[in-house]
Amino acid sequence: MTSALLTIQNLTVRFGGLVALDDVSLDIAPRSIQAVIGPNGAGKSTLINVATGIYGATSGRVDYDGARIDGRAPHAISRLGIARTFQNTELFGEMSALENVMIGADRHMCGSYLSSAMHGPAYWRTEQAIRAEARRLLELVGLGNDTDVEAAALPFGKQRRLEIARALATRPRLLLLDEPAAGLRSAEIDELNSILLDLRANLGLTILVIDHVMALVMAISDHITVLNFGRKIAEGSPQEVRSSPEVIKAYLGEKAAHASHS
Amino acid sequence: MTVRLLFGAVVLVIFFAAPHFLAEFQLFQVCLIAATALVVLGIVVVTGIAGQISLAQAAFVGLGGYGPAILAARYGVPVWAGIMITAVVVGAVGYALGQLTLRVSGHYLALATMAFTAIVQLAFIHSDAVTGGAVGMQMPTLEISGKTFASGGTLYYVVLPVVGVLFLAVHNLIHSPVGRAFAAIRQSETAAAAMGIDVLAHKSAAFAASGFLGAIGGGLLGLLSTYLDPSQFGITQAVYYLAVAVVGGMQSPLGAIVGSAVFVLVPEFLQAFQTYLGLVFALLLLVFIVLRPNGLVSLASDLLRIVGGKQQRGAA
Repeated sequence: MTSALLTIQNLTVRFGGLVALDDVSLDIAPRSIQAVIGPNGAGKSTLINVATGIYGATSGRVDYDGARIDGRAPHAISRLGIARTFQNTELFGEMSALENVMIGADRHMCGSYLSSAMHGPAYWRTEQAIRAEARRLLELVGLGNDTDVEAAALPFGKQRRLEIARALATRPRLLLLDEPAAGLRSAEIDELNSILLDLRANLGLTILVIDHVMALVMAISDHITVLNFGRKIAEGSPQEVRSSPEVIKAYLGEKAAHASHS
Repeated sequence: MTVRLLFGAVVLVIFFAAPHFLAEFQLFQVCLIAATALVVLGIVVVTGIAGQISLAQAAFVGLGGYGPAILAARYGVPVWAGIMITAVVVGAVGYALGQLTLRVSGHYLALATMAFTAIVQLAFIHSDAVTGGAVGMQMPTLEISGKTFASGGTLYYVVLPVVGVLFLAVHNLIHSPVGRAFAAIRQSETAAAAMGIDVLAHKSAAFAASGFLGAIGGGLLGLLSTYLDPSQFGITQAVYYLAVAVVGGMQSPLGAIVGSAVFVLVPEFLQAFQTYLGLVFALLLLVFIVLRPNGLVSLASDLLRIVGGKQQRGAA
């Protein structure tokens, strides 16, 4: 599949004796919303961390847009157009929501050290542009009224959306969301769903969601991959995955799997 | 924009009026505060903003003093040029030191930079032929196009503009993408990298800035004290600069000025307690770390907020 935006081939990641990912392969088609689900400890976050350069691969490879990216530095991967959010949110807590997003936008418009130190006309122009862009993104995720609030003071649901706005500010083509629905109420999950669908429709983004909250994943994903103990145990459309005995077994246990068969 | 122009005009008026109202010795003290503030500004950038604990500042100051002195004594380089050349070189040294942060961080970085200060001080003491060894060496007098600047009254016109321009540049830098990147790194390196920020390059740049500012400050302090004593560039002094930053407020350039003013002026008021000065400073540091980790500047901004809040309630 040469048309995939992100290709993960036979990826294995070991931490000492622990096998976090075992020979996992995955293709993400452009403009698709894909999900990777699995119980805690299935290796979902490890997958994102390898794709964004935080961990290296023990074996296997990750390709993005025709170039190998595993083992590259996180900032280099970000500049290629892969943005992410974090499972436990990694916001710049002392900064306002607006400043958090501005940092994402800075890479695209930032001038030299000299112009930064002089604050010449070019500086004021780009600063205005960055500010406007950040404000627009905050409105997009429904935080238009929280621009000046310190990130750490925002409620958890808004922090998650702020992370998405900040990731978008780097102008990604591929957005990796690490458990975006964890800790959200069901109304907030619906909101998040519509934001993600909008993003694909309006910006042509490709989105990979990692979660164990089925409500989010089932509603919007084109394609789902299920991991358990670092191995891929199923993949396919939401319907296919839902009825897979392997998946039911992993999530609900052996008995439930038998019950669903009978 | 008009506010900025007005502010600039007021600053200029004060700058030119001050020499008419202050005595020679007071002008000298103003210079001392300004030069110390410049040194501490380096700590504000690297530690306060970028979050990298550094005890290298005393070494940068020492290099910034010895550099122009040696260049003048051996090669006849004018002092002003010597200070600039040295600052650029020390900035590069700072950049190299910043590369350390790839391997060490937190307390270990503090120890590594402290070791750097110790090594540089040992080099001053043991390179007798070049530096005069433990006795120290004379700092040459500043001469620019035939005019000599030797007293507090004359150095005032050199020290204050230099410090002022550099403070303005750093203030601008903090409120720019570069400064935001520094602050981002302090708050979460992982997230900063995920935003496309080259963490190591920015940390090194912050160390380079602290080296450059420390060296210029060291050069100016040398001009003021006229003598370079290697015992002034050790670990104690590194902690002293850190204490100035903590008391003033680590996170803003204003903190460097406020802290320096306190540490330069307090000894004047405590003439009788000279012996206990170290104790006074240590207590100050302790009190601020526990009660006011963001320094005197944060006290002022809190007060402003309280006053502002009252006014708002009064209007309602």
